[in-house]
Amino acid sequence: MKTKLFLLLLAVGAFCAVQPAQAHHAFAAEYDPMKPVTLNGIVTRMEWANPHGWIFMDTKESDGKVKHWTIETAAPSQLSRHGLKKADFTDGMTAVVKGYQGKNDPGLANGRTLVLKDGRSFYIGSVGGPNDGAEPQ
Amino acid sequence: MLPFFQWCDGLAMSQAYRDSTYLFPLTQALHILAVTIFVGAVVIGDMWMLGWGPVGQSRTSIARSAQRVLLWAGLAVLVTGIPQFTTNALTYQRSWLFILKMYLLAVTLVFTATVRWRVSIAEEGRLPSWVTRAVGAVSLSLWMAVTISGRLITYYG
Amino acid sequence: MPAIVRTFAWLEGLGWTTALRESPYGYPLIETSHVACIVVFAGLVIMMDLRLVGLAFTNAPLAQIQRRLFPWQMATFVPSTATGILLFCVDPLRYYRNVFFLAKLVLLVLAGLNALAFHLKTYRRADRWDEDSQVTALARFAGAASLLLWSATIISSRLIPNNWFK
Repeated sequence: MKTKLFLLLLAVGAFCAVQPAQAHHAFAAEYDPMKPVTLNGIVTRMEWANPHGWIFMDTKESDGKVKHWTIETAAPSQLSRHGLKKADFTDGMTAVVKGYQGKNDPGLANGRTLVLKDGRSFYIGSVGGPNDGAEPQ
Repeated sequence: MLPFFQWCDGLAMSQAYRDSTYLFPLTQALHILAVTIFVGAVVIGDMWMLGWGPVGQSRTSIARSAQRVLLWAGLAVLVTGIPQFTTNALTYQRSWLFILKMYLLAVTLVFTATVRWRVSIAEEGRLPSWVTRAVGAVSLSLWMAVTISGRLITYYG
Repeated sequence: MPAIVRTFAWLEGLGWTTALRESPYGYPLIETSHVACIVVFAGLVIMMDLRLVGLAFTNAPLAQIQRRLFPWQMATFVPSTATGILLFCVDPLRYYRNVFFLAKLVLLVLAGLNALAFHLKTYRRADRWDEDSQVTALARFAGAASLLLWSATIISSRLIPNNWFK
């Protein structure tokens, strides 16, 4: 019967059609997985916030100029899960962030790994980021 | 499942969505609209089954109409959802909540297409009222679970 | 600094808004509730609109559908708005600067005015909804406007997280 076939098709198709994370603006729409960046600089401010955290960092370019970066991180629940605490951040501290640069905004980045001055490394990536192995299993 | 996700990831459509700034968010927005209409049709049917709607002849004809809306909205959900899935499945499959949502969605779709389909358009009095209420309650709970599990991926996924 | 920005900065700095912004459970709960309530609310509104424009539920008397759906629309609208206000208070400056959020507010107001106008103009003649052709034309218009406005509201909301404009 036509209706039954349609229904079956609908069921199978809709199974695939689910939007992966409805809370999420897609990584791929805003960030370029072909543009990995390693940012070594000073954290001017960190916003420990939902739905995303933000690390504001100043790095020194090769020509001596200071570049301002806005780095998106995962939500507090995710950061805590990977061992990071709000108290781990102080304004003016040095850190290294690995991530991916924004597609349309070169000063924007999606953070994947954070390495603090004391050597501790944390996964700060949001769900939906590329399969680059940064996420601990 | 991994080879399937890899295949999806490699499609030209997936690459097009990754390359474009606007294509993905606009498709996503339309998808949400389609989902809203779909859920509206589900909820109206479930409400009626739970006894919070009209009775008698009206109930059956409304349920049938709701099913038509469900099918059309479901089609829109599909069309707007497939590109999102193929573009992102490979990355999201690392998330346990995403996998959970997929299983929940599969179960819910099967339930909706089988049990709920028949019960929602059954004439008044054909089935004991507890059956109709139970189906309405289960349907509502399942669809809410699908919605909620999807939302929580960002936070706990 | 204009007064409104100062107010929003003050709001952002409050203890409870900060706690909510940083919470691992509270914020996810509120955001999830916001979306769930809105999806149900808007879904029911759209069902009503489909009846108004004659695309669905045409066998059911208009007044009956309206009477049954309206309490549930109100019941889901209240938590949608309450959670929305809370979410706004958590990060007022970011939303204030977001063109899609501002568009959403404008569209919401328009949708609300359209609904109000419809209720005021036609509610009294509810019993004649299906017979009176003038009421039907009004109902069709209100339904179509409502469909457009709520769809635009939803689409605009979904575009808020995108950092397209600065």
